[in-house]
Amino acid sequence: MAALGTAIDSLTAAMKCNIIPNQEYLLQGSVLDQYVEVLLHRLRGLCDNVDSGPETFNDHELCYSLRANNVNTPMALPLRVRRALDVSDAPFQLRYVGQQELGDKNRPTVVRSCIDMACSSTIIEFLSELGCRLDFEYIARGYMFRKGRMKVTVSKIFKMNGIANKPGEGVEAISQSYLVELSVQAPSGQDAIAEDMRVFAEQLRPLVQLEKIDYKRLGNMM
Amino acid sequence: MQQREEKQLESSLESIIQRVNDLKASLASMIFKIENEYESLNWPKFLDNYALISGQLISLSKVLSHEKCTNLRNLTVLPLMLSPERDEQLIQMTEGRITTFSHDLVPDYLRTKLEPLAEKKMLQLEHKAQGLQYDNAQKQIAAYQKVVTHVWDIVSKAREEWEVEASSRGNTQQNSSVADTHLLVAAVGMGKGLKMGPNPNGQPNSTSGGMMVAPGRPGGPPGQGPIPPSSQAMSMSKAPSAIKTNIKSAAQMHPYNR
Repeated sequence: MAALGTAIDSLTAAMKCNIIPNQEYLLQGSVLDQYVEVLLHRLRGLCDNVDSGPETFNDHELCYSLRANNVNTPMALPLRVRRALDVSDAPFQLRYVGQQELGDKNRPTVVRSCIDMACSSTIIEFLSELGCRLDFEYIARGYMFRKGRMKVTVSKIFKMNGIANKPGEGVEAISQSYLVELSVQAPSGQDAIAEDMRVFAEQLRPLVQLEKIDYKRLGNMM
Repeated sequence: MQQREEKQLESSLESIIQRVNDLKASLASMIFKIENEYESLNWPKFLDNYALISGQLISLSKVLSHEKCTNLRNLTVLPLMLSPERDEQLIQMTEGRITTFSHDLVPDYLRTKLEPLAEKKMLQLEHKAQGLQYDNAQKQIAAYQKVVTHVWDIVSKAREEWEVEASSRGNTQQNSSVADTHLLVAAVGMGKGLKMGPNPNGQPNSTSGGMMVAPGRPGGPPGQGPIPPSSQAMSMSKAPSAIKTNIKSAAQMHPYNR
């Protein structure tokens, strides 16, 4: 118990010192399949990992939610598990993503609270035992670039067909475009990075329009 | 009156000297870096140094153009005595660059005009311009103007073409689709079109509160997706009530309660 106490103590201390990168600054966009090569070429030129080339990934993401039984205030705690399909010994990643804040027009990016942690494969069993329900899942395959603290992912999103026994089989792409995301994780209050992101996003126009996308409005539209 | 002016001159000279010294120090450090740290020097560092120097230059020129600063042009430096002998004080003041205040050095150091060569050339050109016939001058001006307008035409034509191309490219060549962006973002963010549960409209199944994904797949590939409704119902009926209370307490102690 004492050990637990100190762990929580050090966690609160870290929170107080504001060193935990718990804010994600995010811009999203897409590019049509036939132009993705052009975009990759441009990103290769703009980003840091020039000589090594872009990193590829093939990830399976499972989105769980933990719901309270409260009728009056329905609330769900979203939790996402991500695992690499191409690297078998890579740890699983558990991620909490909070409500996004759009802010006013002057704020260049969406900001949402977000906590990432590495975990083992038993996380899936653990979440199930906890009462989390699998909402949806998908496979993301694509390329990852870095530019300073910024991360750029260009990924194709695949829907999983229930019949397939293994993830990676029997999947179908959900659109004719690649999803492009530009994000930075930082401790709260470091709003200056958002401006850097805006400048970087500007360099990718008109190939990709990286924008703040409002999930709520999206929910009503579609 | 004179005393005040002298004071002003002194203070402005002091601030100018200070700024020049700053500039000198940062120039020296940059030269040192280029000569000694060229292996580890990267562009951002180099540009930082450069920005520092240009900032100092700007502040120096601000000081010089300030109205309180005495106009240095109106002042004369008058060498009173020249000597071919070594002057220790001068060496110290100039950090070892000038050893004597002698006849051959002073004209160079106190020079305010152009270099002799440049001055000579300027004079020649001025003579030539004066000796030119009026008609000839007119002809040359006309020829020159013709060349300039020609170049101007080429440049503006190129610019026009470039702008047309840019605007047409912006209009016709569609590299991305807004609909696709929204589709993808909604899918990744909210699972639109990815959910395969009993509720096809994507609404969370609020009545099935503590429903679980079927246990018994420990750590195995979870790629099967949500299980078909029949087995879901089964697992729901099987689920012991203890789990429900577990959820509640977990939700209550969770820090992300909203």
